[in-house]
Amino acid sequence: MSPHAVAKGAALLAQIGAATRARTRLAGRPLSETVVALGAAAARWCEDAELTRALPALGRFSPAMVAALLPLVGEALDPAAMTELVERELGPGAAARPAPIDVALVAHVLASNVPALALPAIALACLAGAAVVVKSGRDDPLSASAFQRALAAVDPELAATVVTVYWPGGDPVHEEILLATADVAVLTGSEPALASLARRVRGRLVTHGPRLSVAAVGRDAREETERVADALALDVALYEQRGCLSPRAVYVETGGRLAPRDFAERLAAALDTLAERLPPAPASVEERAAARLLRTGAEWAPGTAVMAGPGGTVVYDDDVAFRPTTAARSLRVHPIRSLDTLPALLPSAQIECVGLAGRDPQALVPALRERGVSRLCPPGRMQRPPLTWPRGQQAPLGALLGHPGTPRCEVET
Amino acid sequence: MTDALLLEAELAAAITAVAEGGPPLDFDAWARRIFAHQFERNAPYRTVCERRGVTPAVVARLEDVPAVPTAAFRHLELTCGPPEAVFRTSGTTSGPAARGSHLVPNLALYRASALAAFSRFVLPDGARPSCVLLLPSVAHRPESSLVRMCAWVGEMLGRDAEWFVGDRGLEIERLLEGLGERERSGEAVLVAGPTVIFADLFEACRTRGRAFRLGPGSRVMDTGGAKGLRRPLSRAGFFRECWAHLGVAGYSCVNEFGMTELCSQRYDSAFADRFHGRNLAPRRLLAPPWLRTRVLDPDTLATVLPGATGLLCHHDLANAGSVSVVLTEDLGRTVGDDGIEIVGRVAGAMPRGCGLLLAELGPA
Repeated sequence: MSPHAVAKGAALLAQIGAATRARTRLAGRPLSETVVALGAAAARWCEDAELTRALPALGRFSPAMVAALLPLVGEALDPAAMTELVERELGPGAAARPAPIDVALVAHVLASNVPALALPAIALACLAGAAVVVKSGRDDPLSASAFQRALAAVDPELAATVVTVYWPGGDPVHEEILLATADVAVLTGSEPALASLARRVRGRLVTHGPRLSVAAVGRDAREETERVADALALDVALYEQRGCLSPRAVYVETGGRLAPRDFAERLAAALDTLAERLPPAPASVEERAAARLLRTGAEWAPGTAVMAGPGGTVVYDDDVAFRPTTAARSLRVHPIRSLDTLPALLPSAQIECVGLAGRDPQALVPALRERGVSRLCPPGRMQRPPLTWPRGQQAPLGALLGHPGTPRCEVET
Repeated sequence: MTDALLLEAELAAAITAVAEGGPPLDFDAWARRIFAHQFERNAPYRTVCERRGVTPAVVARLEDVPAVPTAAFRHLELTCGPPEAVFRTSGTTSGPAARGSHLVPNLALYRASALAAFSRFVLPDGARPSCVLLLPSVAHRPESSLVRMCAWVGEMLGRDAEWFVGDRGLEIERLLEGLGERERSGEAVLVAGPTVIFADLFEACRTRGRAFRLGPGSRVMDTGGAKGLRRPLSRAGFFRECWAHLGVAGYSCVNEFGMTELCSQRYDSAFADRFHGRNLAPRRLLAPPWLRTRVLDPDTLATVLPGATGLLCHHDLANAGSVSVVLTEDLGRTVGDDGIEIVGRVAGAMPRGCGLLLAELGPA
């Protein structure tokens, strides 16, 4: 190992050591103080001018999109929601007690596909009573440090338990330290990236690989159907459809207020309208090629119709087989006779969230849970997961503390 | 012989004549004739052309001939007549329905194109090597266009040919034995097959401590690239392995770029460039004169500037019996005046290619 690498590694080790020592200084304080500090820091973070200025170029988003996204990220750290989470997972009265002491250090390696993944990562680790090291993804090296700054402004002692780092590409020295020193490593990213990192983890491992989401509209949506299309357009457009909560297909029950094909047209129109408020990011040649192939492929396939505009591409497709789109702001709309058959159409362990309208969600929960779905919510809220979201069907704090519980599928109303 | 087959037979003769040093093909004239032929006889293609208002009478430029996306081969029977052979794309992950079918009414045209291009780029020196084929035979895989092509190569251009993939995959012991025999004979050998099967061969050589020095004039033809590889293998790494385990230098390694939907192939330039005394750099994929490729802007489908990345669209005259203009799911760019380079595949494109062929056959 070169002297430079040794020095770099030593610096990271020193930061981690300081964070874990800072954690011990918080031993007696009630979690409610952590909750208040995280909420206040999130509010400050949303106003971070440097982040607002830099994130569009780094993350390849329009400034309007960044302005829309930051409050959504911040709202997840709502003090009431965090209190609910700790009371639910750590028992009644937990907010008034000190944080758990089981886990000293959590390491998060974040993906690049969506920005600001650092906020829930840091918040959950703090609520679990751990010091935390967050390694940011390539497209957003700023959010984590911005949050750490915000936290330092409201609660320097808590902020001292947080280490934010970034290095481009693979860095064996830093990765080794990160993955070998943490009690729990939480890895988010592509399958090859996870495989490469996972074998170096010494403590407990939590992984979040690539996932997708879908939406479903029951015939009982009735007069709400048009509003549902508008709301789904927002779910598609937010984050430029790069996240695991972005819908890639909509199943529309036949016999409702709008025929599935009409719903597709309404959705396409809603995407176009939304593009004026949230302009699409400049697309790479790969993304434009994916959109082109989606359109031309559908033109030649039986039972399909293409509705493409400045806001994206909607393909109406008689074939109900789930074939996720990859182009930006695109999705397939499929007719379905009964939403009862939806779970069987979805691939196992690949769908994270179902945006559902016009149907009692509880009836679908057992079958969707079986398919690996962790979350049901109304259209328009797919990109606004609360901190209680059992990502990957695991209890958010339980996953860190070593008792993730039985697979969960939560319903938000 | 029907009118349709007459045109294809005439084209096959013209391609063979070009290969034998005869007059060059008039690409534009043939392309127009073939479009009229396909418009008349290929009903699903005509339907889309008419929907777009494109008929043989109004086509001003060849770029206006509608391109068929490869996805269409999964849904439609795009043929100008009863097929003599049906070739199917590889790919196991999405089920049989996701595999495309290329219906070929006249195998003689495919054969003429495939052999002429192979001779031009892999055997420009007129060698007749012993063919070691890292593939299943036609009897095992009648629906593979690559296997069919290699059968013709072995039969017409090779001294002999032997297949080394059976029902249970690569028959490694028999292959090592076969290579050893050929090494001892000192004859020129052509080792041909998917890149992924070469990787298995290299692995077997490594674990058994075997290394062959194949005779002078030996060469390698691989196809499929990284698809299906269990561990990464760069192009430079592939060349190193060929040298270490087969004794074949990198400039004698020819990468083939073919598609089930096309009856013509592109080949790595290095071997032909070396034979003709040209500079070996830059390495690029060259085409025979009856195959042209445009690099298209995904938004406008206009040709991009030289060197810029876009979607590859092939115009293959040898596809006269089906559809000649095929829009692929590949991203690429032009290299020099005569070549292209594959940059990658569009995200979400269906897994396919001969790299997956072994997976369909079972364990190696």
